[in-house]
Amino acid sequence: MVTAARLIGILFLGALPGMSALAADIPVEPGADSLARAVAQAAPGDRLLLGDGDYPGSVSLTRRIEIVGSGRSRIVGPGAGSVITIDAPGVVVAGLRISGSGSDHETIDSGVKLTKKATGAVVRENLFEGNLYGIDIHGARNARVEGNRIIGRQDRLVNRRGNGIYVWNAPGTAVIGNHVTFGRDGIFVNSSRRNIFRGNRFEKLRFAIHYMYANDSEVSENVSVGNHLGYAIMFSSRVRITGNLSVGDRDHGIMLNYANSSLLEDNVVRDGGEKCLFMYNANKNAMRRNRFEGCLVGIHFTAGSERNEIAGNAFVRNRTQVKYVGTRNHDWSGNYWSNHGAYDVNGDGIADQPFRPNDRMDLVLWTQPSARMLLGSPAVQLIRWAQKEFPALLPGGVIDSAPLMQSAAGAAGSVTGEGTSQ
Amino acid sequence: MSAEETRKLGFTRRGLMTASAAGSVAAGTGLVSGFFSGGVTKAQAAGNPKVNLQPGELDPYYGFWSSGQTGELRILGFPSMRELMRVPVFNRCSATGWGQTNESLKVLTEGLTEETKKFLAARGRQTYDNGDLHHPHMSFTDGTYDGRYIFANDKANTRVARIRCDVMKCDKIIEIPNAHDIHGMRPQKYPRTGYVFANGEHEAPLVNDGMILDDPSQYVNIFSAIDGDEMKVAWQVMVSGNLDNTDCDYQGKYAFSTSYNSEMGMTLADMTANELDHVVVFNIKEIEKGVAAGDVQVLNGVPVIDGRKGKNKNYTRYIPIPNSPHGCNTAPDKRHVVINGKLSPTVSVIDVTKVDALFESDADPRSCIVAEPELGLGPLHTAFDGKGNAFTTLFLDSQVVKWNMDKAIRAFAGEKVDPIISKVDVHYQPGHNSTSMGETAEADGEWLISMNKFSKDRFINVGPLKPENEQLIDISSDEMKVVHDGPTFAEPHDSIIVRADIVKPVNVWDRADPIFADAVKQAKADGVDLEADDIVVRDGNKVRVYMTSVAPQFGLETFTVKQGDEVTVYVTNLDDVDDVTHGFCLSNYGIAMEVAPQATASVTFTADRPGVHWFYCQWFCHALHMEMRGRMFVEPTAA
Repeated sequence: MVTAARLIGILFLGALPGMSALAADIPVEPGADSLARAVAQAAPGDRLLLGDGDYPGSVSLTRRIEIVGSGRSRIVGPGAGSVITIDAPGVVVAGLRISGSGSDHETIDSGVKLTKKATGAVVRENLFEGNLYGIDIHGARNARVEGNRIIGRQDRLVNRRGNGIYVWNAPGTAVIGNHVTFGRDGIFVNSSRRNIFRGNRFEKLRFAIHYMYANDSEVSENVSVGNHLGYAIMFSSRVRITGNLSVGDRDHGIMLNYANSSLLEDNVVRDGGEKCLFMYNANKNAMRRNRFEGCLVGIHFTAGSERNEIAGNAFVRNRTQVKYVGTRNHDWSGNYWSNHGAYDVNGDGIADQPFRPNDRMDLVLWTQPSARMLLGSPAVQLIRWAQKEFPALLPGGVIDSAPLMQSAAGAAGSVTGEGTSQ
Repeated sequence: MSAEETRKLGFTRRGLMTASAAGSVAAGTGLVSGFFSGGVTKAQAAGNPKVNLQPGELDPYYGFWSSGQTGELRILGFPSMRELMRVPVFNRCSATGWGQTNESLKVLTEGLTEETKKFLAARGRQTYDNGDLHHPHMSFTDGTYDGRYIFANDKANTRVARIRCDVMKCDKIIEIPNAHDIHGMRPQKYPRTGYVFANGEHEAPLVNDGMILDDPSQYVNIFSAIDGDEMKVAWQVMVSGNLDNTDCDYQGKYAFSTSYNSEMGMTLADMTANELDHVVVFNIKEIEKGVAAGDVQVLNGVPVIDGRKGKNKNYTRYIPIPNSPHGCNTAPDKRHVVINGKLSPTVSVIDVTKVDALFESDADPRSCIVAEPELGLGPLHTAFDGKGNAFTTLFLDSQVVKWNMDKAIRAFAGEKVDPIISKVDVHYQPGHNSTSMGETAEADGEWLISMNKFSKDRFINVGPLKPENEQLIDISSDEMKVVHDGPTFAEPHDSIIVRADIVKPVNVWDRADPIFADAVKQAKADGVDLEADDIVVRDGNKVRVYMTSVAPQFGLETFTVKQGDEVTVYVTNLDDVDDVTHGFCLSNYGIAMEVAPQATASVTFTADRPGVHWFYCQWFCHALHMEMRGRMFVEPTAA
């Protein structure tokens, strides 16, 4: 039985304050209530080692202990509430297969729930299957959620499912290398800050990352494939959004909505359904070396977005490269435009003609699609000619005064849709 | 105009327009038409009679617009978006003397609590001079507008006002005791208004005397039902969570209020902690029974019933809704109520016929939700076309989405069907929206207004403070078309669009109007005939100056008072011709008021400054308007 094994494997964990100098590795056999009993008897610092098999019942961890599974240790919740609730600092939950949460959104029923007390908790390399929410980080500071595989619910409408990882008010928490499929949003973040969301993979979800009011954070090297929306970064400042990939996301690859003073570098959005990038009232951002390819709209830039540096990016084969709605002038110097038919006589890599990704005609075309019928007509030619000859006629618009002949952005293949994460 | 005439005019116009718009590239795109001006499309753009009414043409609708922190009600001709009138309500108005005349001060003070009156008196004031008027809504009879009143909330100082639609003046303002900061407000739709339901948005101790401060566990929120005829609070309900927007059904049974803070959190983080917040359902008949049975505490003269969670009473039910829901909109089909998810990209549709079971058999509160379509990011408010479709503003996507309610219900039941019909970009970031007659059973599906919170670069720059931008959208076909940009000053939140035949204002005042009944009474006591006499009555150190005004002359061209006298000037405008409004502006005394045809207006001040002081008519009235003036002699006390 569990109690007999207290002294197997003594660990020295002196670096952690307030912890017993003696900590034990305690094997816990599968069986009804065996885990709950072991948890009840464990001392702070103890490590419960779970074997292959089923551990029915939910547990609440109120002391600093570790639960380490074999990778085939199944914690099976009773279908009500959260399966594992971490309600103490420094808890580690690893190597488990976790299923059987309840289905109540009011209580955010999850595979693992981290409360405000779960400072520094680690949730690592677990498999979550069919819980309403995978991991609910509800106020836990400096937690680490890493290398988990989360397979959400499919038995209900998308909007009635829960999120893979739910982050609320968890400063300092890192979510790294997880793989989320099904369910609602991959990661939903609300009212948090100083977070890291790195190297996660998201498929078959509503939004890969749904991000509201979380300043000073990092969203990097994630992969979103076939979701309604890739990265919705909203009402947040100083977010580093780098090296992410979005492939075939339905609405937008990346959406920056009142995301300010942020960095958007080395991201790739490919074959999106609607917009590769939607910049809406997004200001003071630096946007470099991103690749936007094969969307209906390469970039939709509007709502007075201003003071953005947009350089070194590649806009490739988007049906409309730039949808600009505004009355100000913007010079996005030094980007690559696949549809720019210009020469480079002196071979300096810069096209000899500036590129106007959207002119008045484009504006007409997107507000009045039926006007496409007029393309090629003398009136349209006249407008285009007049704009070229008398650019002062423009009441606002985007120009690239030094367009690149070749693209470097996203060409290195450093990020792909394949082979990342599990 | 009769209803039939209005409708006919609208349709005729539409018929004419369809032909000319078909060939137009630029019609309706404000940005483009500038470039094309002088070109081929100008004729069509300018000739779009639906929006750009020709000079002299009348609008088929009234638009009643709020003004947010300006505190007034605005009247627009719709769809031309021509601003026709500003009705001062909670604000101090220089042009009309609202907040200074005795008639307006009566309205502004008689409904304040004694505690507030004392609070203001200590600051040397009689009333507040600011307000935050968000939601103007017309009174209903049998599910549609009846043209009697507009009701409006004041979030800033917890008041509700009533505006009379015959004279387009505010006639009642009441402070709502026990509640804090009235936000959502809507009149009862059926059988009539009836009640005006009002949400207190902010949480506070029920008795807010300072004995409880930072202890949110003792805070409550208050839902009020105001008797719209008497303008008195009939009853209040204590609820769990805060209250945001409200609407009611077409049966007279239920009212619904959204709550974005079911957590009762006091910090931003705590307010957003829950995945689900809720909508509160108020069971009007049960509450009335409870009030009659005395299951209340009476506070500040108002019976307050306890409808908080866990009380096992039949007064309220709480329906969980994702996530910080905001707008609350009842559909013209009289059956569905749309709750807008704000931080959830969904709206939740309540079937009111399934709400009975929540009270009668304690059914799962979510069992009355029959659809929850994902519409886009930041759904805030929904309007309707009366044809089964809904239009929801998406704040974050900055779009309006048109969707079909029946399809949304079928999709929720598992059918593979997409309820979304189309989306249109708006500029920028919409809050409220309204359709023509859309919050009544007579929604006609002609027009939508999207009330956008930012204009950014949409207009020539007027400095750091920018106007809002209200965009007019033609919803007569599935493809919505933005056809007009309407900049507005701070800060219309909400509006209603009312068929013109329903609103029947008068051209001149009735001499028996109660608004100036006090002046009539005082004149009678003084033996003065307001419509004939121009006379000064001294009563100790009180002086009452009665004068008529007929363009271009005041009945008195001089009057004399003593320094320190308390002077009341009564001006009765004997002109009865349309639009011959006079004013009385006493220069260097800070006194000015409007006197509309056949009205009496009065103002009271102390004659502190000796000397010669001119008064003049400041509302243009006549070819000799400049000559319409007179002198007030103030004899110095020392003389």
